[in-house]
Amino acid sequence: MIDRTFARRVLRFGLLGGVTVVYLALVGMVETFNSINLIGGAVTLGRLLLVLPPFLVGYVLVRPRVQAGATVTPSPVAAVLGGAAAGLAAGVLTGAGILIANALPEQLSARNVFVAVTPSLLSVLTFGHSIGIGAALLAVLGAVAGGLGGGLGVVAWRVRRPVVLGLTVALLLAMLQDVFRVSLTQLGLATGWLYSPRFGGLTYLGALVAFAVPAAASAYWLSEGRTVRERFQGIPKEGQKPVRVMIIAAIAILLLVLPYLLGSFLSAVLGRVGLFVLMGLGLNIVVGYAGLLDLGYVAFFAVGAYTTGVLTAAANSGSSIHIGMGFFEALPIVIVIAALTGLLIGGPVLRLRGDYLAIVTLGFGEIARVLATSDWLKPALGGAQGLIAIPAPSFFGIDFRDPQPFYYLALGFCALAAFVSYRLANSRVGRAWVAMREDEQIAEAMGISTVRYKLLAFAAGAAVGSMSGALFAVQIGSLAPTSFNLLVSIQALAIIILGGMGSIPGVIVGGLFLVGIPGFLTEFEQYQLLIYGAVLIAIMLYRPEGLIPNVRRTRELHEEEVLQDAWSEGVPQGEPSTISWEETPR
Amino acid sequence: MSALLEAGGVTKRFGGLAALDGLDLQVERGEIVSVIGPNGAGKTTLFNTITGLYAPDAGDVRFEGQSIVGLKPSQITRLGISRTFQTVHLFSNMTVLENAMVGQHCRGRAGLFSSVLHLPGQRKEEQRVRERAAEALSFFGTRLSGYRQDQLAFVLSYANRRRLEISRALATEPKLLLLDEPTAGMNPTETLELTGQIWRLRKDRGLTILVIEHDMRVVKGVSDRVVALDYGKKIAEGTYEEVAHNERVIEAYLGRKAAAG
Repeated sequence: MIDRTFARRVLRFGLLGGVTVVYLALVGMVETFNSINLIGGAVTLGRLLLVLPPFLVGYVLVRPRVQAGATVTPSPVAAVLGGAAAGLAAGVLTGAGILIANALPEQLSARNVFVAVTPSLLSVLTFGHSIGIGAALLAVLGAVAGGLGGGLGVVAWRVRRPVVLGLTVALLLAMLQDVFRVSLTQLGLATGWLYSPRFGGLTYLGALVAFAVPAAASAYWLSEGRTVRERFQGIPKEGQKPVRVMIIAAIAILLLVLPYLLGSFLSAVLGRVGLFVLMGLGLNIVVGYAGLLDLGYVAFFAVGAYTTGVLTAAANSGSSIHIGMGFFEALPIVIVIAALTGLLIGGPVLRLRGDYLAIVTLGFGEIARVLATSDWLKPALGGAQGLIAIPAPSFFGIDFRDPQPFYYLALGFCALAAFVSYRLANSRVGRAWVAMREDEQIAEAMGISTVRYKLLAFAAGAAVGSMSGALFAVQIGSLAPTSFNLLVSIQALAIIILGGMGSIPGVIVGGLFLVGIPGFLTEFEQYQLLIYGAVLIAIMLYRPEGLIPNVRRTRELHEEEVLQDAWSEGVPQGEPSTISWEETPR
Repeated sequence: MSALLEAGGVTKRFGGLAALDGLDLQVERGEIVSVIGPNGAGKTTLFNTITGLYAPDAGDVRFEGQSIVGLKPSQITRLGISRTFQTVHLFSNMTVLENAMVGQHCRGRAGLFSSVLHLPGQRKEEQRVRERAAEALSFFGTRLSGYRQDQLAFVLSYANRRRLEISRALATEPKLLLLDEPTAGMNPTETLELTGQIWRLRKDRGLTILVIEHDMRVVKGVSDRVVALDYGKKIAEGTYEEVAHNERVIEAYLGRKAAAG
């Protein structure tokens, strides 16, 4: 009954899961994350990492797929067994890894290469038992997780959706335990039932509630037969607007009260998120709207930061220029200078497209950093030591360096940038950008000056990026050229790719995800790049349009599929004409 | 008064190959002129040179008495020359109306600030752009109007894509329209319909039209004058009948032997 193709897939997926687990253990994620208690003292994030890959491979294994022109869905029994077998394979591989690592003589020890392989990692992997029992436990757990994943993969959509939602909410509540515990306490609510005072993670009751409430709510919605989104779209057009306004108002209120719920430390993280969202919004104009892949966006960030620093710094800042302007007076100048820099960088790259443009802009980003470090500009920019003593912006006695006021400042800038982006996207300028992105030569032939609109995109993107840089300069009060490396450009790009190019909500979600989560969970910080990479690969493979896509961008990425669909459904043809050659209207 | 378009001694070389070789061409106001010639004769190169996609190596192109050599394609479009392409080039992920609105771009002025601030002038202009784009689409009756306006360009049928290209060119409010094989790939009924429409473009909109066409029934149906090219040179010019019976033209199409026999 189980055919050979399926068996081969089971083995392949199982080995893939096993390799993933071994990898996560070797780089030290398992051990580091073991200190994060998710539920009680038993379920830690580290242990979750041991069972999550088998679970996921079990799930992916049984999803419907196209084989020889037909959609294949395994039967429930085959799915659970197949998932379990794949999970077992993953577990066995991990277990075998431990046994081998343990049996190796001292000179060949994995520790010589992987510093993360420590006795304490071993104790995490074996759940505190002996090696043999630990390896067996891993295999059994892998099989169970794989079976559950397989079961979830074939169960009806109406069951799967609530379960996935419940699991996601519970996982988020558990991982962001600090955020939610602090905000609940601020609201004067008891947290003891939800979060265990002793372990920090969810209590068993809390975990059950965190899973069951959203799952039940989702199941209730689905019992009506439709998802929330479908319901919203079912409302007539006039009815949609108030709902939309209410949602936006709710989000706005939440954003406004957030610092009071989260307290000082977590607000600082939010301020940082704001900084990157702002940068993402600026880059989104260049890449998302105008389609110009800019890998040197950090240059605009640096121009904003250094200009702010030089204009506002006190006498002993490390720069020989002393102007001592206020932050808000300096800001317009900063924006203008950045926009001019945008034109300056945009000028030479006007004729370049795609890969070439990316490489050249990459170079400009590096030039910005080298200039900031250089001795030539040392009198103005402070060279390798950078600038210090940049005063905090103040307004009616509010010190904007405090995390909470800073958050509001960043929020205000983000709101402004989002508004400008939105208006631009839906205007003559935005149309010209879209046309240029779709086909540059044709856009030019149709009367759009591509030179002008490319420069405009660079200038507008640079202006927004410089606002982010200005915030960065005053947030800490000092600048060092090392802060302006390639990684900043990559991070901004990663945010818009994850969120969805050309989509404003996408940029915000991307920023929250890529900057917020590592900020809230300090353990994540050292694996930030690894996680970025994995997330970006996954996004590129499974959802290239991003989490909250821009509709048009999605179409561009899926154009071929849509064309095929249109073809197979029979594209409507024009109405037959009735005139004939004899009656040529001459 | 001088001709609307005057090309004098236009030469365009690609390496050793002269795609256009000292070509002279005049198009009077209100004329419909067909350009014919075998493959590789330089017809599309001529269009590309007129619209500024190529810069000629020698010679001059004058539009309304003013030289347009060296101008960018977008500037030439603004002056009043618009075109369609041999292979359809639409903005396929924009709607039908948006495609036409892009055509209206060169007749608008709204920039960065007025677009962000929604100044009254910008709103009025946006309204006007929308109306004129819709008007350009209405040239083809219901084929591109109504619900079709909000469809994406890539879901259109082939003939409608061709029509949308013409509408987009019309939306630029041109004086001179260059059509590069407008009926290529169309079925006989659609070709016939378009023939009448090219006629109407002049009658209703007062356009001057230069058209590259391979379908001789269309050439016969629409042209006041026919210009035949071969190897970048003009080999014949005159009415359809004159050019169709010109020995050099027949030779260019069929070869020397056939012409002799």
